[in-house]
Amino acid sequence: MTELSDELLVAYVDGQLVRDQTRAVDKVLEQDDVIARRVDALKEAHARLESAFEAILAGEVVEVLAAPMLPPRIERQRGDGLGRVGLTVVGIGLALAALVGGYGWPLITPDRTALRQPALASGRQPVAAATPAPKVVPAPITATTWQEQVLRAQALLFGGVEVGLEGQGNLDLVAFQLAQAIRPAVKLPDLQPQGFKFVRARLLRFGDTPLAQILYLGAEGALLAVYAMRGSGDGEPAFRQAGAIGSVSWSDDGIAYLLIGEEDETALFRLAEKIKHEPAAPGQPALAPAPRSEPRPELSQVPAEPGAPASYPVIRGSAPTSRTTPPN
Amino acid sequence: MQANIHDESVRHDLITMLPRLKRFADVLVGEKRAGKALLRRALLRILTDQHRHQRGTPLDRWAFAEIYRLWLSELRNHSDPLRQAKASERDFEQLFPKDQEAAFDVLTANFLEHLPPQQRSTLLLVYGEGFDYEDAGRVLDTNPDTIQARLILATATLANRLGSASPTQAQASAAIENTSKSQDDTNDRAQ
Repeated sequence: MTELSDELLVAYVDGQLVRDQTRAVDKVLEQDDVIARRVDALKEAHARLESAFEAILAGEVVEVLAAPMLPPRIERQRGDGLGRVGLTVVGIGLALAALVGGYGWPLITPDRTALRQPALASGRQPVAAATPAPKVVPAPITATTWQEQVLRAQALLFGGVEVGLEGQGNLDLVAFQLAQAIRPAVKLPDLQPQGFKFVRARLLRFGDTPLAQILYLGAEGALLAVYAMRGSGDGEPAFRQAGAIGSVSWSDDGIAYLLIGEEDETALFRLAEKIKHEPAAPGQPALAPAPRSEPRPELSQVPAEPGAPASYPVIRGSAPTSRTTPPN
Repeated sequence: MQANIHDESVRHDLITMLPRLKRFADVLVGEKRAGKALLRRALLRILTDQHRHQRGTPLDRWAFAEIYRLWLSELRNHSDPLRQAKASERDFEQLFPKDQEAAFDVLTANFLEHLPPQQRSTLLLVYGEGFDYEDAGRVLDTNPDTIQARLILATATLANRLGSASPTQAQASAAIENTSKSQDDTNDRAQ
């Protein structure tokens, strides 16, 4: 039996030996079964350690997607909340990348969606048969590596493709620019009544197509993002989940929307319904705190109008709810 | 203006490496919650002290080193650093996502859990991150020979546990392991 130390064999397994040493070990392995078995065991140990660290990393990617960790950007003279949002946006961006990366832009490839009834799946009362049910697409984290996911997010959010929208404080101007870049019918939703304050809007690019990103901040720091891009036709809302971040996508007036946030499925559907009934971007009266004669009901509290065709159902609520006319 | 551009560049680079940094902090500490807290503190320090980052030094190496330095300095201030550095089995297993298709490797997880944090981190940096011994040594504030010795010890011990080693080799490795653990403990006390 040849005497070879673990030190040498581990270096061999790790590929740290120079060529001549490697050849020498190779020769020994051909002749000595004991050493060969030892090398096999060291290789297996090495492989198991690598796999263990890969597995941990896979879990970290999902976690980082769900809860961005960088502290807020140090404020420089900006009082618009951008610093507070800071890199939390990145979590949404990474989730967007995960969602888009796995499926393409959600409403461009509707045929790839698998359907299931959320009301039935969640054990809630099913809505009326005539009502088109929202599509809920289970979206597992795809088999892409974390590097690919981050790369997609980077390409979407930082890769020199962004066109800034001037005058973020002037919402009419923002709405106008969005309408010009996307389509006149694009919406700049006012989600203040739902507890989400408008933070900013940006124009990104998805391939060659302009992609609007509208960000909102909830009362407790939860970030919500609405993405809008030119699409085709109308499509019913579909829910997807990537880690802790959920999304609802739909199309309306030839514009595809994607709503992303750390809200649950029901809350996202409510918000999607709210956005769907928003007026189009140009001349957005709703963005200023519009005086209302009476308090605006929460979406889940809107009573169903008997006989009225529903655009799509509100899933959670005391009664199946539908609405055809915008609340404004 | 230049400083601002550099600041933004550092932030963006940190974002892309967050999963890796998180894994390092988690593996070092041995549990997710404390790892996350350590990483948050370290990121704050990195962003505050980013002027100390020397251009030419890869940011990831510097960031890993900052996390390690912070962990070590906090450990030294602890009344019982050895106990503090030990991870519980349950907490450590939480590092491995259970919804992955690949089966959870209990043996390897258990093996890693019982290693001293420095040895765990060494394995991660070399086998997980692909660092060479010198870079891993810079991160962990030690020399390449120590890194190599830790790798040999850990890999050989795991190989023994996999049942492929002869009894003699297993005993020898166990003796080496015990000696090394004693040395690590002594080093920790000295530090």
